[in-house]
Amino acid sequence: MTRRVPTTCPYCGVGCGIVLNVDDSGRIAWVDDDPANLSSVGMLCVKGRFGATFVNHPDRLTTPLVRRDGVLQPATWDEALDLVARRLPEYRGRFGSFASAKATNEDAFVQQKFVRLVMGTNNIDHCTRLCHSPSVEAMLQQLGSGATSNSYADFEAAGCVVVIGCDPGSNHPVIASRLRRAIDDRGVRLVVVNPRRIDLCDRAQVFLQPEPGADVALFNGMARAILDAGVEDRDFIASRTEGYAAWEAAVLELTVEQHAALAAVDAGLLREAALLIARPPAPVGHPPAGRPGTCLLWGMGITQHTQGTANAHALINLALLTGHLGHPGAGISPLRGQNNVQGCGDSGCIPDSLPGYQRLDEGNLASFEGAWGASPPAQPGLKATDMIERILAGDIRAMYIVGENPLLSEPNLHHATMAIQALDFLVVQDIFLHETAALADVVLPACSFAEKDGTFTNSERRVQRVRPAIAAVGESRPDWEIICDLARRMAPGAGVARGQFEYASAAGVFDELARLTPFLRGLSHERLDREGGLQWPCPTPGHPGSPVLYAESFPRGRGLFVPVRQGSFADETPDADYALILNTGRVLYHWHGGTLTRRVRGLLARVDTVPVAIHPDDAAPAAISGGDDVTVYSRRGRLRGAAVVTDAVRPGSVFVPFVKLNESAANFLTNNAYDPQSRIPEYKVCAVRIEKGHAARRRDAAATGALRPQGEAAIDHEPVPGHE
Amino acid sequence: MSLTVDGIEAPAEGTLLDAVLAAGIGLPHLCTDDNLAAIGACRTCLVEADGRIVAACSAPASQFHQVATRGAVVERIRRGVLELTAAMVSPGSLDRPGGPHAGELAAALASHSARLDRYPHRTRTRSDATNTFFSFHEEACILCGRCVAACQELQHIGAIGMAGRGGATRVTPGADATFADSICTSCGSCVAACPTPALSPREAFAP
Ligand code: SF4
Ligand code: FES
Repeated sequence: MTRRVPTTCPYCGVGCGIVLNVDDSGRIAWVDDDPANLSSVGMLCVKGRFGATFVNHPDRLTTPLVRRDGVLQPATWDEALDLVARRLPEYRGRFGSFASAKATNEDAFVQQKFVRLVMGTNNIDHCTRLCHSPSVEAMLQQLGSGATSNSYADFEAAGCVVVIGCDPGSNHPVIASRLRRAIDDRGVRLVVVNPRRIDLCDRAQVFLQPEPGADVALFNGMARAILDAGVEDRDFIASRTEGYAAWEAAVLELTVEQHAALAAVDAGLLREAALLIARPPAPVGHPPAGRPGTCLLWGMGITQHTQGTANAHALINLALLTGHLGHPGAGISPLRGQNNVQGCGDSGCIPDSLPGYQRLDEGNLASFEGAWGASPPAQPGLKATDMIERILAGDIRAMYIVGENPLLSEPNLHHATMAIQALDFLVVQDIFLHETAALADVVLPACSFAEKDGTFTNSERRVQRVRPAIAAVGESRPDWEIICDLARRMAPGAGVARGQFEYASAAGVFDELARLTPFLRGLSHERLDREGGLQWPCPTPGHPGSPVLYAESFPRGRGLFVPVRQGSFADETPDADYALILNTGRVLYHWHGGTLTRRVRGLLARVDTVPVAIHPDDAAPAAISGGDDVTVYSRRGRLRGAAVVTDAVRPGSVFVPFVKLNESAANFLTNNAYDPQSRIPEYKVCAVRIEKGHAARRRDAAATGALRPQGEAAIDHEPVPGHE
Repeated sequence: MSLTVDGIEAPAEGTLLDAVLAAGIGLPHLCTDDNLAAIGACRTCLVEADGRIVAACSAPASQFHQVATRGAVVERIRRGVLELTAAMVSPGSLDRPGGPHAGELAAALASHSARLDRYPHRTRTRSDATNTFFSFHEEACILCGRCVAACQELQHIGAIGMAGRGGATRVTPGADATFADSICTSCGSCVAACPTPALSPREAFAP
């Protein structure tokens, strides 16, 4: 007999409903789509459908590990947790923690509570720092809330959708399906902005292929074209916004032609796109009275730049200018990469705010003190990228990392590895012994999504249930339970009541999160079980949830125009030695660094070497043809892959997905230069050169000093000599 | 307006197939998937409604009063349709493991005591094992079109279609193309829809 367990996909932020079919032996035998799920309406992609088998991979961590005589060795839970409980208090004031956007809201909530109450610091952050922190910063400043304003269904009710700096076909495949449906069945117009020609371009009315890093010029150029044509939304600007005059002055400094030249796009196409965005034609079935809207969707192509926040400002300015906010069929949608990156932030794993994005002000601190019996610290903590940099400065000596692998996800991995190695004490809690875990002093085995109870919150703010389908693998435990166990051991020493970390169930943890977070207050596991996933804000048990935000006003009152001007395109630009621009992104068959998807046979069989896309004009002089082994060098490292010669990339640029395959990963090349406001690294642009053939492989176990995990690569990429 | 199915009250909403299933009565419906709009191609869902023989999947429930899934005539017609359908597949090809709905044809044949050898088999032998997640064995394909609808109407990919006419009709990712070199994204919606083991999962998911 097969048991069918409805739950939520563990991969991307679309948050598709999946039904795990579990056979008698307790293994996942098939993954079904879920037509009842409102986010995915019966659709799935290859990762959701075929990618869940990593949960039973033999590499799963099954016992705690403790480093003895320099080697990680199996230990009991008591040994491991007692050791952590004994060591961590020494590092109060010099401690930081990364939470996991792959774990549940419940896991995230308990972790930030532990870090704030027991370790007494706000040094907690998660991978949003590496993906959408510029979007969140910009939205918070301009609107007062940092979330997607609409729902996926709005893409099909819109007159126009604009897909900017993202490739949904690879990374949010079900969004791509919904967009194709909108275009094919409803006649919705598509504009694509991407330095690379993505699959969706086949259906685009306008495709703009700008120079990487020129986004501000591009969007200011669109704004200028809208102003020139007089098709801005005057009423919206007058009644719902402020700061218009200063912003307009900045945009008027250059003509459409000048902006287009900066971005290296055709001015006519730029104008066409702008007018389509401002005044889209009505889609099939649009109510005759209403004005058709435009949805702006964007990804890392906007954010992962040293001017990521400026890029996001330019985009949101465009939404304010055209009034495409606050009604169905319109809105702004930063596409979230990880299943629970929205929820991890909502639950409080960010250094400058409490759960529910509540500021660290007196009133909020007092109300949390009321609930927790002790106050969270008032001083904002360090952001993830700063924590890594501050290790080398000696300010951070110990870290607790849950479900994250910075030694694959940080830029300039040689630099990041040096930092992690410099820690005095490192605890890693995860499901596989990845690169970072291999350097830990204590490794704690966590349950995968298929083994635990809780909730994920997807890109459209829909809080959805995660349900246990298989028994915990080995001695692994749910993340929130591990942290509660540890916190109870440490609480007395920290002046915190042990009872603060005694929950009967994940539902009990959620109840506390909901009590303390106004926009989640109407939700509970029981209600989500009854009604299915619901979109926050949902302030009361009778509230139906909120598909579209900002109908009447913005959380900050009026929407704020923020003037931005095009700055330098990137921190590192091509020169004689490194003449090409590296652009990073994704490939459909892998997910992020690949720690999970490398452990799914069919996915690895599909793509087993890093594809390096290069334009024919650049391939020819280097005598590179499709399928050739190539090595890409930057000033920081090198990568071996297989050439894909294609005119989908701009001449002068190379595209590489950031998955690690065959011990090669793009982040050995990328630059640890940061956006000043959000501190996001510039993953999207650095200077490289490419050579035919694979440079000799130099394995260097000493570079990590760690046990080499089975099936996982040790760090064998030495910096290129002469460029250290 | 009341609707009865085999004498049982049923909601007169959606299609007659919805009403039949809501009344808790089994009825083959090989080309209808709960994830897709009705295709109306297989004729295995025939019922007698107010004296007419209609395909339940495509008949609006609100237009009928009395529906019978049982009865000598309608059962004989369905059995005939099923026996013709059985002639499309190779003997033994339905025994292979497959996706979640792979047993639907075999179950329909069994429930109607259909003879598998009533008509000469039209054996087709092409198969495609180039996709790393699933394989396609034409010998078990009944051309119901669920996979094609899932690919086009659900996922809007359009990687597979029906090609050829009459006895040469087949499901294919393009003339002389394989799944691996088509625009297929391996979402598996076709495998999830297939009522036989023609499209079946490989490796990890195969029981
Ligand atoms: S689109 Fe994202 S959430 Fe949906 S099945 Fe694919 S990976 Fe999972
Ligand atoms: S299910 Fe009605 S015709 Fe196929």
